[in-house]
Amino acid sequence: MNRDRSEVLRIAVTMTVVCALAGAILGAGFLVTHRYREASDRRAERGAILDLLQLDSSATVLEIRQYLAEGGRQVVYRAAPLGARAGTVPVREIEFDLDGRRRNSGMSADPAAARTDRALVPLGRMFAATRAGAPAGFVVEGETRGYKNKIRFFIGLTPDFEIAGVRVVEHEEDPGLGAEVATRSFAGQYLGRTADDLATLSVTRDPMPEDWRAALATLARIPVARWRERNAALIERERAKPVYAVTGATISSRALTDGVRETVDHFRRRWELLAPELRGPS
Amino acid sequence: MSAALHPGPAPRARDLILNGIFGENPVFRLALSLCPAVAVTTTVLNGVLLGVAVLLVQVLSSLTVTLTRRWIHPRVRIPIYTIIIAVWVSVIDMLLAAFTPALYAQVGLYVKLIVAFAIIISRLEVFASRQPLVPSFFDGLGMGLGFLLALVVIGAMRELLGAGSLAGIPLAPGKPLLFFALPAGGFFSIALLMALFNRIERQVTGTRAKAKGGGHG
Repeated sequence: MNRDRSEVLRIAVTMTVVCALAGAILGAGFLVTHRYREASDRRAERGAILDLLQLDSSATVLEIRQYLAEGGRQVVYRAAPLGARAGTVPVREIEFDLDGRRRNSGMSADPAAARTDRALVPLGRMFAATRAGAPAGFVVEGETRGYKNKIRFFIGLTPDFEIAGVRVVEHEEDPGLGAEVATRSFAGQYLGRTADDLATLSVTRDPMPEDWRAALATLARIPVARWRERNAALIERERAKPVYAVTGATISSRALTDGVRETVDHFRRRWELLAPELRGPS
Repeated sequence: MSAALHPGPAPRARDLILNGIFGENPVFRLALSLCPAVAVTTTVLNGVLLGVAVLLVQVLSSLTVTLTRRWIHPRVRIPIYTIIIAVWVSVIDMLLAAFTPALYAQVGLYVKLIVAFAIIISRLEVFASRQPLVPSFFDGLGMGLGFLLALVVIGAMRELLGAGSLAGIPLAPGKPLLFFALPAGGFFSIALLMALFNRIERQVTGTRAKAKGGGHG
């Protein structure tokens, strides 16, 4: 009886010590790496955004976060320069009713307080780039339901709402099949389509013409601007046609196309409301 | 080769490494961890990265267990092995995420799954918990290398047949046999390579390999 109890005690002590040590090692590992990880995430995101807009780092980018507030009866936008760490810069805050009337607009003096003062449901992010005072383009974050899980993507738009690039940043589609929608050659099919083109854009299971396939494949190697120059005639011909689905992955192809269409449509309407507010005195 | 495995006179480093690669290759001979071996091997590069991660986890876990085996209570050894493996997997996961973000984006999901790889815990139970430091190190190294080799070979075969490329470089137009990129094709690839592996071994040693996968660990 007594020996049993001492054995139980020994086991409990061993397990406790092992768990405490494991926790300490994990904590130390996290402390060492998380700064690098955050920095690399921010770098990758900024790089992806500038790359989508074909801009160098001289452009200034405003990051606008959209939230749903007051139990879904208000939409709140918060704008701050991209890449700044949260809590270090003043944030511009604009509130709208659901029917598009502005309720409130202003700078929050204490950004740390503004982040925690009420329950906000994040809805997504947008990035507006300006260069020498003129708008240089937008990047909109979007999400769509893929074959298994969400597909998250960035859409680059020119100031006239023409697609400058689509980049899938997170997905769980099948490797070798649905995952192809995340490649540059698939996303190349959206390049140059306007917001109005997108409204009627569909997906077809017809085989992709060989010359178009070959041209899209070179997107992985050459910059987008040069690619569009080189293939201008082909792009003009294909713009009137639907998006060709990835062989064996029609669902993923449709999902991304629907997501791009909806995201651009929503953004265009939101931007009409937001643009005058952001241009005003800040 | 595999006779040297169980407690007895200290086995030699070379034999231990060769045992991991050929005699008891985790995938082709022991048929352990087939699920991840199928899941990640759609390309060679994925196979290499996961193989290297498994190699590191195997060696580090074997070393930890062989150094601490005197204090591990036998009744709770399996949970403790699991914690040890989980710690090393998490550390490697954090390092990969911080310093190789591009590669991590592709195989990050599978790196976390190494915790549940049968091959690692089986080597801890069968070998590292009974042998001193040096043989445990070489056993871990051999098993890790064997797994890495298997993943690279399977990845090469599937990428070549399924996607018509090798290490991302296109070699054939289109997709010659799309089937091989799918999970079912992964199992067929492993079966074909296992048969090839057995045939080569029979030609080298002149004997038929004994199937011993099921009874292991």
